[in-house]
Amino acid sequence: MTDRRENLILILPGLLLLCVAFFLPILRMLALSVEGEDGRTLAHFQRFLGDAFYLGVLWRTVRLSLIITFVCAVVGFPMAYIMARSSARVRLWLIVMVILPLMTSVVVRTFGWMVVLSRNGIIPELARDMGLAGRSFTLMQTESAIVIGMVQVLLPFMVLTILSVLSRIDGRLEEAARTMGCTFIQTVRAVVLPLALPGITAGAILVFTLSASSFITPSLLGGSRIQVLAASIYRSVTQTLDWPFAAAQSVILFSGILLVLIPYIRQQSRHRG
Amino acid sequence: MHHTAIPLLSAVALVAGATAVSAQSITINSFGGAYEEAHRACIIDPFTEATGADVQIVTAYSADAFAQLRAQKEAPQFDVIHFSGGQEIVGAQEGLLAPIDPASLENADDLYDFAKENLAAGEGPAYSIASIGLLYNTETAPQAPTAWKDLVGGVYGDRLVLTDIANGYGMLGFLMINQVSGGSIDNIQPGLDAVAGLLDDGALIVNTSPEIQQEFAQNDAVIAAYASDYAYTLRKAGLPVKFVQGVEGTPASFITVNLVAGRVNEELALKFIDISISKEAQECFANALRYTPTNATVELSEEVAADVAYGPEAVAGLIRFDPITIEANRSAWVDAWNRTIAR
Amino acid sequence: MVSAVPAAWRVAGWIFVIAIGIFLLGPLVVVIGVSLSESQFIAFPPQGLSLKWYQAVLTDERYLSSAWISLRLALLVTCAATLIGGAAAIAIHRRSLPGSQALATLFLSPLILPTIIFAIGMLMFWSAVFGPLTFLTLAIGHLMICIPYVVRTTTAVLADADPFLEEAARTMGASRLQRLWHVVVPQCLPGLAVSAFFCFNISFDEAVLSLFLRHPGLTTLPVRIYGQLEFSPDPSVAAVSSIMIGITVILLVVIDRILGIHRISAT
Repeated sequence: MTDRRENLILILPGLLLLCVAFFLPILRMLALSVEGEDGRTLAHFQRFLGDAFYLGVLWRTVRLSLIITFVCAVVGFPMAYIMARSSARVRLWLIVMVILPLMTSVVVRTFGWMVVLSRNGIIPELARDMGLAGRSFTLMQTESAIVIGMVQVLLPFMVLTILSVLSRIDGRLEEAARTMGCTFIQTVRAVVLPLALPGITAGAILVFTLSASSFITPSLLGGSRIQVLAASIYRSVTQTLDWPFAAAQSVILFSGILLVLIPYIRQQSRHRG
Repeated sequence: MHHTAIPLLSAVALVAGATAVSAQSITINSFGGAYEEAHRACIIDPFTEATGADVQIVTAYSADAFAQLRAQKEAPQFDVIHFSGGQEIVGAQEGLLAPIDPASLENADDLYDFAKENLAAGEGPAYSIASIGLLYNTETAPQAPTAWKDLVGGVYGDRLVLTDIANGYGMLGFLMINQVSGGSIDNIQPGLDAVAGLLDDGALIVNTSPEIQQEFAQNDAVIAAYASDYAYTLRKAGLPVKFVQGVEGTPASFITVNLVAGRVNEELALKFIDISISKEAQECFANALRYTPTNATVELSEEVAADVAYGPEAVAGLIRFDPITIEANRSAWVDAWNRTIAR
Repeated sequence: MVSAVPAAWRVAGWIFVIAIGIFLLGPLVVVIGVSLSESQFIAFPPQGLSLKWYQAVLTDERYLSSAWISLRLALLVTCAATLIGGAAAIAIHRRSLPGSQALATLFLSPLILPTIIFAIGMLMFWSAVFGPLTFLTLAIGHLMICIPYVVRTTTAVLADADPFLEEAARTMGASRLQRLWHVVVPQCLPGLAVSAFFCFNISFDEAVLSLFLRHPGLTTLPVRIYGQLEFSPDPSVAAVSSIMIGITVILLVVIDRILGIHRISAT
């Protein structure tokens, strides 16, 4: 048996499953995007791309996803580093802390945020008491609410992915850097950060794609006045029953995400090649 | 790859599919929670008693159930499907629903005419009606509303809750606001302008009924345009909420029970529909959840009657915006609505 | 071990962790508070203290059966996804297959599309080819959205593993299977453990596929919660979530006692 054959055997179950159980159903659905009343048409794409409203929705989706990814990375890296450097016991509780939000139903969790963010919520009241805002100040149904709510659920994906890479880094490397006179921050920047990069990249890709394609949290926290693409797709499927348009929007979302991912993937290939 | 994988998957599916449902059973959708409990007590249990057949329930709201029905066109799992947002019109047009011969339903004669208008086209009978009016907090509202016009008067400012028109009840509430603002079903611009004004005053838009409850319970919202049965739900939960019909009229949302095309259990399914429209079932439903009955022979106590449109006159007073027009324009309207409310 | 972190940074670290803790857990505290409320509707701060919603949930046949279904589903999906995805990740990592970078992206694609599109596509495809929905339909659906996590996380971990270890084993005459089992799999382990966790959580909390691929007798817990919220929004949904929070904590601690989760990410 050759190496190639061994690897083929390893990848085959996943690949087969992906093709039969994912790509066939998806293509069945996406094929609708070019279906018109009389034969093939690009009308659904034209409708989207020729309309400032929908382009705005697309832009908001990409922008919010980038912000969410950035916040997750900025918070997630130090968090993962602290976990990696903590004692086993502390690390366990930190892991528990980070994944607990994932274990609650999204609707109930969103209610939690609503209590904190809405007009009578804790944060707006605090802001009012300090004279920072007016009576009707609320964080609900704003883009900030979407970012806050999404970071809460996506942070574990970032933290745990970085942690799994950080924990493989040889502690002696840091030791060496310190011995050679690096300060703590210099060590983190020159040794830990570069080594953690594959983890950060993998985490960022997960977080970005997940935030771009999720709709329950954005639509509950952002409300229908702040639409993202995935929520718009959901509407087209269940409410206006316009499946071809939903399919067209999905193709656009898919291509949009892919466009953003390509630089990442390139960079990763270089990094590993 | 395609060729080898499909037989393989089919074999697995066959093994796993051993739970196949017997012929003496039908599959329906119900809407969950208290609705499903009432559904069981008023219709499903009597049906099982009368026929000995089993009823399998899938908890699915109209929009989700319709999406499932359409996607499963080739092998529908439902025998009977319930809709509350006008989905039966599209379903009938697309041939997903089967026509019903009124002669096959014993109780069809007792129904008001409007409830059985399009049986031949495939739209099932309406077995209850949700009436859309004004819900307000009796303790904190600055003034008790009497008319739809009060909504747009600017009295309630940022304590007014509007429902998105993607929601069936929201659509009817909006059409009513549109009407009192000078619009008509052929011109929704006045309604959109009115909504834009309300939003400038700080009004909130929600998508689903739980959010209405949360706004009332948590955020001192005082008024919303929504269905009478939901006012009852809120009251049962302990909130001081009252339902009033606006003087300009009360839009009606029909809840229909439909026969799915291409299934083998047609006779049982028809029997189920027949029981749904019976006097007993509708009385039971009205008592439990405060839905307006569509069976003319239904008798209600005064307490219950006060919460619903009861009797031929009251029922005739219900407004029904032409569902065909709504369906034809839904996509364009939702689009225009989204643009209006977008920040 | 690593030289001591300066005291100032240590303090800053703790402040940071506490702030993040408040951010992550604050909303959950609200949920737990709601679950203890005596009132019939969901409100915070809770009015009165009572355990009645817990009693209501734990004696409700429908909640229990849904929880059982979700649990079985999540376990099945986690095992299958970790096996299939882990194997694929190893193959992708070794880069002996043509276009392994393209393959890696291919495996990510189920994450890129909103699940609703996959759900409808799956429903159309399945009923056209196989007919009625089964437990397996939903399991496969969940599997497809879980595998990407496994592949992503495991390849990231392997990227940092020592590539010479396997070579050394080969030189010393270890067979293919021995090399795979004794060298490569242990290298993947942190990644596999983390992905198993993701998979379980995702499957257990997944609502969209479960909503569209359901059939009688297959109502998962998240779908049950939606139904409850729509027509009888009461604190029982908060109680369900609080119970899930409690079970997660207990489960993690127990698993840690037995298997030592903390060792997975030990330095």
